[in-house]
Amino acid sequence: MNAWLATRLSAGLFWSAVALILGYMTIPALVVLMTSVSPSELLEFPPSGFSLRWYERALTYPDFQGAFVNGLIVTAFASSLSLLIGSAFAYLVERYTFGGRVALEAILASPLIVPHFTTGFGFLLLGANLRIGQSYAVVVATHVLLTLPFVTRSVYVSLRNLDPALERAATNLGASPLQVLRRVTLPLLLPGMAGGWLVAAMLSLTEFTASLYVTAQRTQTLPVAMYTYVREYTDPTIAAISALLITFTTILMLIANRYLGLRRILAIDAH
Amino acid sequence: MALRSAAFLAIGAVLLAATPLRAQNTPGQDKLVVDIWGGNFRDGANEAIAKEFTKRTGMQVEFITGGTIDRLTKAKINRDHPESDVTVTTSHVGALYVTEGLFEKLDMAKLPNAKDLFPVAIRSPYHIGLYSYVYTPAFRTDLMPAGYDIKSWKDLWASEVKGKLGLPDFDPSHIIIAAALLAGANAENWKVGIPLLEQLKPSIKAFYQSDATSQDLMKSGETPVQVLLSINAFHQMQQGIPIKIAIPKEGAVVGIDAIGIVHGTKHLDAAYQYLNVALDPEVQAKLCGIYRCGAMNEKAKLDPELAKLPGVFTTPEQWKTQAIVVDDATRAKLLPVWKDWFTENMMQ
Amino acid sequence: MIASARWRAAPARPRPFFLWLFLPSLAAALLFVAALCEVAQYAFRVFTPGSLEAGGFTLENFARLARPIYLSVLADTLLISLATALFTLLLSYPVAYAMVRAKSDFVRSLIMLLAVTPLFTGEIVRTYAWILVLGSNGFVNSVLKAAGLVNAPLTMLYTRFGVIVALVQFSMPVMIIILAAALAHVDRNCERAAANLGAGPAKVFRHVTLPLTLPGIVSGTVVIFAWTMSAFSTPQLVGGGKVLMISNLVYLQGLSSFNFPFAAVLSLLALAVAIGALGSMRPFVSRLERKAAVN
Repeated sequence: MNAWLATRLSAGLFWSAVALILGYMTIPALVVLMTSVSPSELLEFPPSGFSLRWYERALTYPDFQGAFVNGLIVTAFASSLSLLIGSAFAYLVERYTFGGRVALEAILASPLIVPHFTTGFGFLLLGANLRIGQSYAVVVATHVLLTLPFVTRSVYVSLRNLDPALERAATNLGASPLQVLRRVTLPLLLPGMAGGWLVAAMLSLTEFTASLYVTAQRTQTLPVAMYTYVREYTDPTIAAISALLITFTTILMLIANRYLGLRRILAIDAH
Repeated sequence: MALRSAAFLAIGAVLLAATPLRAQNTPGQDKLVVDIWGGNFRDGANEAIAKEFTKRTGMQVEFITGGTIDRLTKAKINRDHPESDVTVTTSHVGALYVTEGLFEKLDMAKLPNAKDLFPVAIRSPYHIGLYSYVYTPAFRTDLMPAGYDIKSWKDLWASEVKGKLGLPDFDPSHIIIAAALLAGANAENWKVGIPLLEQLKPSIKAFYQSDATSQDLMKSGETPVQVLLSINAFHQMQQGIPIKIAIPKEGAVVGIDAIGIVHGTKHLDAAYQYLNVALDPEVQAKLCGIYRCGAMNEKAKLDPELAKLPGVFTTPEQWKTQAIVVDDATRAKLLPVWKDWFTENMMQ
Repeated sequence: MIASARWRAAPARPRPFFLWLFLPSLAAALLFVAALCEVAQYAFRVFTPGSLEAGGFTLENFARLARPIYLSVLADTLLISLATALFTLLLSYPVAYAMVRAKSDFVRSLIMLLAVTPLFTGEIVRTYAWILVLGSNGFVNSVLKAAGLVNAPLTMLYTRFGVIVALVQFSMPVMIIILAAALAHVDRNCERAAANLGAGPAKVFRHVTLPLTLPGIVSGTVVIFAWTMSAFSTPQLVGGGKVLMISNLVYLQGLSSFNFPFAAVLSLLALAVAIGALGSMRPFVSRLERKAAVN
């Protein structure tokens, strides 16, 4: 009886702890939502009323509009290039051995470890010395390198899970290598590629530190514009735009979880 | 599963295809682009200068914003593809733009309003002062003890200020100059003031990185005492925050913000127009009414209430007794040295 | 490089599309190496105050690192990164455990969403949120004041404590993902066997589950450590200039003082520390993996 009670008690404690920790992770988002509808320019809890004026300002502020479009351009190109390069590289690593493979793998995985400001600073200098300044090309290249490890990992895991017998069977039935790739391998890799692309797109859309270095006004992305705003104004407009981003992300995660399976995308599941 | 993923990728492809590539073109093809600080600086310039400019020329103005030095760095990096046509910056930082060859040499014949300027406004053949202000101590009257006042820069070292002072991290020159004066030296021999600066550390609560952070720290009461830009203090007083600006007996550190035309601009004529509008007496009076600062055009008729404000100098007498003036060249030369020293020795 | 690749593996089997797959990856790698080389070469250049153009070659920039401020910022950076990594681990483990082991599908998905979504909202949104939570008139102080627990607001912004609180939340999603992957790979039969042999749940956890997830724990801690070294906006905005990390110095030196050479030195320092941390963990990880295999 005592043992039973002890187990129940510790289970209760454990779940309360988990709930508390999840609360700690979630409270900032809730506070942002609360602040975003506050009518006052000053911080106040609880808000003294309900107002959408900060949303109006966030949506009509020209810097945010421009930065949002810039961000979409950068993300679209960066995540797609990252998908192409990353898938090719995952295939290369999984299927072929060649000299310099280890070096190539290390270099392309290293943006995970190299501090983002080092990467951003490097591309800033590269852009300045190539005399292309802080143009789209530089921003997209930076984002491709930063997201590449995630795409590669996602596609690589899918490749590992792919049954080689299927490809062998197609080859034995007379399919050319291109046909095998197109009809068998690629369709089977699609979930991994979609997941990798999604992660790359989300990371690119929200990347800040490296972007701060490599973007100029005409190429700045939304997080950079938001950072500038925080430094220049003190009103809750940032709360409104943050609330929109949080809502958008949550919905996207719900959809991704429903259709692709988050565990799969993040490679949490066993096997 | 594969079908769903394919659909997902297809959505992505559509999004990619739908991305407006036209936006890749430089914004402001037919707009005049002015780079300036954000917040109330941008808003004020828009209200006073840009609207009048658009009225006269029919051309729209687009503002791009950023910190003083950040904008200089970006201007240097993108010198082959300048992002703006006109730059507004602090006058001594303007001197750095000039040495880097980032400004056009000005043809005064194209600036009819320049003839009415105080001589101090012509900073160089490349940049012109727009208005003057001071960096000086100020405090929240409601958060400091009743009757508290600042009479001298020395008061910042007093125990009442312990853990309450906010200073700018982007330009430490004011406190360094003040410490040098207190130690009996001047800006050139600023090192004499180092022991005093070291003793200031217990007073410092936080460093602000921008005008907004300065305002935020004041508004929230995080640092009820600051060395700050008079314009920011007035801006907040208008919002109802009880702030008192002190003009210490040693004087307040004068600053002048200046305007220049970006070298290589494609809108040279429009840029001259913009400068000339900015120097117009009526525009100057309006701008100074918004910023609460001193005008550079002699003929600008400031509101008498405005002229009474501390730090808004209108007479030669005031310039003599209340202003600490350091020339652009000295400040420009010493600013990097000061910043390095300040980061290494004060910000820890 | 390509030639040697052919020479080594060509006879083994046909390699369709090799170049098609190889060249894009090679191009990306070269680009990255070029960017890092730029940083490296600037680190050895002479800084001319007030100018972006760097002069001839010198070692002076590195000598400057020996000044006390840089040592103390480095120490601070290491301390904050280490504290963040450890607290992140402590808080993430229970969540990861609950996420993998909860019986209800709904609960698992719910935890997953709550735990992972913050990863994708970005650094700025989260940092700003913490300013709202920790400020003098912020959420926490308002709650405490309303509850009558404090008279004067607690100072949490502009302190190391505040920075770490924000950084831990920032890092938890990644740690949870890594730990959950490790937990999902634990063979439940090992735990059942231990339980059958009479071990209580605590004992099973301590002697079976925990050791089996050690590689995940170590790699998660290292990743978060490196990740935190890279944090910029959180120490910048939550630290308010009073908490300096290497990342903030790089920005101050690079974009705000245009001392590119010294910013490059600091960037390299951060890179070296990150690689060093990773390298020092590697033998530890492989020993753990061997041990786990023996068990």
